Amino acid sequence: MEIPYNSTARPDTGLYNGKVGIWLFLASEVMLFGALFSAYVLLRVGAEPGNWSMGLMSKEVGAFNTLILIASSATIVLAWVSLKLKDWNGYRKWKIATVVFASMFLIVKWGYEWPAKFTHYDVTFVDDEAAETVFANVLGQDSYNKECREKHREIWNARYDIDGKVWDSGSVGTKDKPLDGHIVGYYTENEDGEREHHKVGKAFGIYFWSHAFAWRHDKRNDGRTTGAKRDTFREKGVVAVEIEPAHGTWDKHTDKHASVTDRRYAKASDGKASDAGGHGHTITIETSKISRVSSYEPAHSTFFAVYYTLTGLHALHVFGGILVMIYHLMPISRRLYESDPDRFTNRIEITGLFWHFVDLVWIFLFPILYLF
Amino acid sequence: METTTQPDIAQEDHHDGHDDHGHDNQHFLTKYVFSSDHKVIGIQYGVTSLVFLLVGFLLIMAMRWQIAKPGEPLPIMGAVLEHVYAHNNAGEPVFKDGVMSSDAYNQFGAMHGTIMVFLAVVPLGFAAFGNYVVPLQIGAPDMCFPRVNMASFWSFFLGCVVMTVSFFIPGGAAQAGWTSYSPLASVIPTDGQSFWLIGMILLITSSLLGAVNFIATIIQLRAPGMTWFRMPFFVWAQFVTAFLLLLAFPPLEAAGIMQLMDRVADTSFFLPSGVFDTGSTPMAVSGGGSPLLWQHLFWFLGHPEVYVLILPAIGMVAEILCNNARRPLWGYKVMVAALFVLGFLSFIVWAHHMYLTGMSAKVATFFQTTTMIISIPSVILLTCLFMTLWKGSIRFNPASMFALAFLPMFGIGGLTGLPLGFSFTDLHLHDSYYVIAHFHYVVAPGTIFAMFAGIYFWFPKMTGRKMNEYWGKVHFWGSLIFMNIIFMPMFIQGFAGLSRRMSDGGATYSLVQNPDVTSGALSELIIRLNEYITLGAFGMLLIQVVFIVNFFHSIRNGEKVENDNPVEATTLDWQTPTPPPHGNFTKEPEVHGEPYAYSVPGADKDYIPQTEPNRPKTA
Repeated sequence: MEIPYNSTARPDTGLYNGKVGIWLFLASEVMLFGALFSAYVLLRVGAEPGNWSMGLMSKEVGAFNTLILIASSATIVLAWVSLKLKDWNGYRKWKIATVVFASMFLIVKWGYEWPAKFTHYDVTFVDDEAAETVFANVLGQDSYNKECREKHREIWNARYDIDGKVWDSGSVGTKDKPLDGHIVGYYTENEDGEREHHKVGKAFGIYFWSHAFAWRHDKRNDGRTTGAKRDTFREKGVVAVEIEPAHGTWDKHTDKHASVTDRRYAKASDGKASDAGGHGHTITIETSKISRVSSYEPAHSTFFAVYYTLTGLHALHVFGGILVMIYHLMPISRRLYESDPDRFTNRIEITGLFWHFVDLVWIFLFPILYLF
Repeated sequence: METTTQPDIAQEDHHDGHDDHGHDNQHFLTKYVFSSDHKVIGIQYGVTSLVFLLVGFLLIMAMRWQIAKPGEPLPIMGAVLEHVYAHNNAGEPVFKDGVMSSDAYNQFGAMHGTIMVFLAVVPLGFAAFGNYVVPLQIGAPDMCFPRVNMASFWSFFLGCVVMTVSFFIPGGAAQAGWTSYSPLASVIPTDGQSFWLIGMILLITSSLLGAVNFIATIIQLRAPGMTWFRMPFFVWAQFVTAFLLLLAFPPLEAAGIMQLMDRVADTSFFLPSGVFDTGSTPMAVSGGGSPLLWQHLFWFLGHPEVYVLILPAIGMVAEILCNNARRPLWGYKVMVAALFVLGFLSFIVWAHHMYLTGMSAKVATFFQTTTMIISIPSVILLTCLFMTLWKGSIRFNPASMFALAFLPMFGIGGLTGLPLGFSFTDLHLHDSYYVIAHFHYVVAPGTIFAMFAGIYFWFPKMTGRKMNEYWGKVHFWGSLIFMNIIFMPMFIQGFAGLSRRMSDGGATYSLVQNPDVTSGALSELIIRLNEYITLGAFGMLLIQVVFIVNFFHSIRNGEKVENDNPVEATTLDWQTPTPPPHGNFTKEPEVHGEPYAYSVPGADKDYIPQTEPNRPKTA
């Protein structure tokens, strides 16, 4: 038994089987990503003011990833062209280049972008007063005065409201305009009311502490309690968290805006802001003042939910593509190439079609998640 | 990823097939279990889906008992279920003392729908018959990508396993209905819903692989001379169905991924701001999502899915009626055109399931209009099938009787859909038993009758033996009568306002329990109908035993077929050895004429096979 038209085109359709298959598969993929893009549009249009937090994305990193993915699309075509010219070594060279570019994309995405977000926290407050006290401390002011308010507005607009429309509308209170940063430590309290300080581990400049996940595990261990899923924060006995703000803060001594790496605070009084022995300028916030602590994980907001789902699904496609391309570089593929070069070349062509599609999806993802 | 390696898959299979051809020394596992032969895969799909058809039916039997006799222990099975079945989160049996609790009712209800649609009827009509018959009818040696075909079945099988296992995990199976509306499905605390979603993602993967394979096979592997308009109508029906699966299922997959994120990563895709949990605690989620988004994505699949259920059935009925009426298909090209119109329109009618979501009158008008337009191609198909019978000398056998009964039953199902397609009448009928009666008339005496017809019709080709005709007719008449006893009264209940999701069959809202209510309470008759329906359902179960015994008995002991074409059919599926070997045809078939050359004037027989080169001019 022989399946016809596997390596040669059927005369009346002009296509070999694999090409029909891949185009149908891609049509289905268009519907899959189309549905997710539609969800993006619907959720964004319906988002509440200040709740579409895409100003947090790093455009430079996104642009870098876009460039290497486009480069990989070019190299995969060159690999196919080399095969058409019966140049195995050329094919090998360009195919390896494609795999390298694709892997770089994933390393940036899974090795840097996602982990950086998982360890970066947002804190919102129970009332405006608590928020204003904290921001006055962070920004080195005596009170939440006009200067402090303008500075807060600048930070907040850049991160949560790139259009700058929400602040003046007054629809979001100060308590819901978060302070963001890394959690570097926290305090627990025993029965006698004594506080114990816990430090958070650090590697590669990132504080690898994520209570968000610890809390979720608690939920499971508690026998699937329903209700306020993320409130085990208090159950864990955490009475205060120590945060290093991620944005630049106000230096009162020089009266200018200090960079992230050079933070200074007006006060270092207990329970407020501290200089923590000269390294890491942090602020301690009582949990009683906090309404929510969330890292930039999927649960943070609908924007991040969409971001992780779309980029995650896309990254899985990239990952799958890498596996197939590595298979195409293995000796088993070399043997097929030698026994049936046309067939192998066809296979590279449809891999390329798939790869271009994956690239195209990213070209849509980059602007909607990073730029606009 | 799978698709990119397809040529490889196909070629290696070719080697396998070539080596084994004529030797028949394949290992049992590769021949019958991990087979890439489209016929074996078709039968695997068929057996699995028939098993789940029975499972889905048994679930509803338990529910029917609860509806008819609320609060009374299930006979026989109650004691078993109390111990075997999953307990709820508090560790108590959901079948306490053999009585079905509301939790259990919800689980059975959700899983009855899911199993019947995704695990039974679609795999039976599309995958089982499609796999077995389509390559034969177009004269192909196998499917285009045999190993992808195998992957499709095993992905489906894995989905079935996940769905089945969910009955026995703590908390039990999904209980948010087969439509899994959020926010309920997003926040429900048991794990059944997550299992449901993972199962669905596996099933969708399976249908994607299957759909790609079907379309590619029909485009690429038609035998010489098998032009597009020489394809049997069944192939056309499968072609359009495959496109519906290919394009309509991915949005549900996207929705499933998002709901899974809602459940495991605490996102708020479908949770609006300000959702409250049980009690008065606001849920600690970010909010900002949209429950309507789920409904749109679900019904964007859900409506084309209706046609995925019905089109293979219509295709089968067309084959069986032409063959048994000895008449060509009336209006073949019109029917093909109607299929395509139907396929296209099915993508733009989905919101008629959502009139009660508060959509604006303008949007409702659009969807009412498209819904009314889509009934036109449906009526064309049905009319052409009726016209095919005109002046035919009809053979009455179980296959043709089921196919004939399909026509009026599907007709009732279709026509009773019109009041649901208008928003003003739908407001009253929505979520009532009327809806249940309507879509069951389409699917149960509609599609499932066509499946029975298909089983009786192609059984001789698959096994070389016929099913017993007498018991087949008993099965037919029993099924027809009991189907109508079950579903006809539901129209009346629905008009009276009986809601479809009440585990006590509406007793809470009956006049007996609410004697002071002046209007709106359910009369005693409406409640009593529940008992008659349940009796009908038990009759239905008994009559299916006849079919099951007949089916298994005939595999080994049925009357042997006298030749390879016992039904005197024209199409290529009957021009093969019986049962067809790996590779199907002894020599590559060549097609010379139309698929339905029955009763051609001037011919010496009343049928001319498509492979016959010497044809009268009129053919």
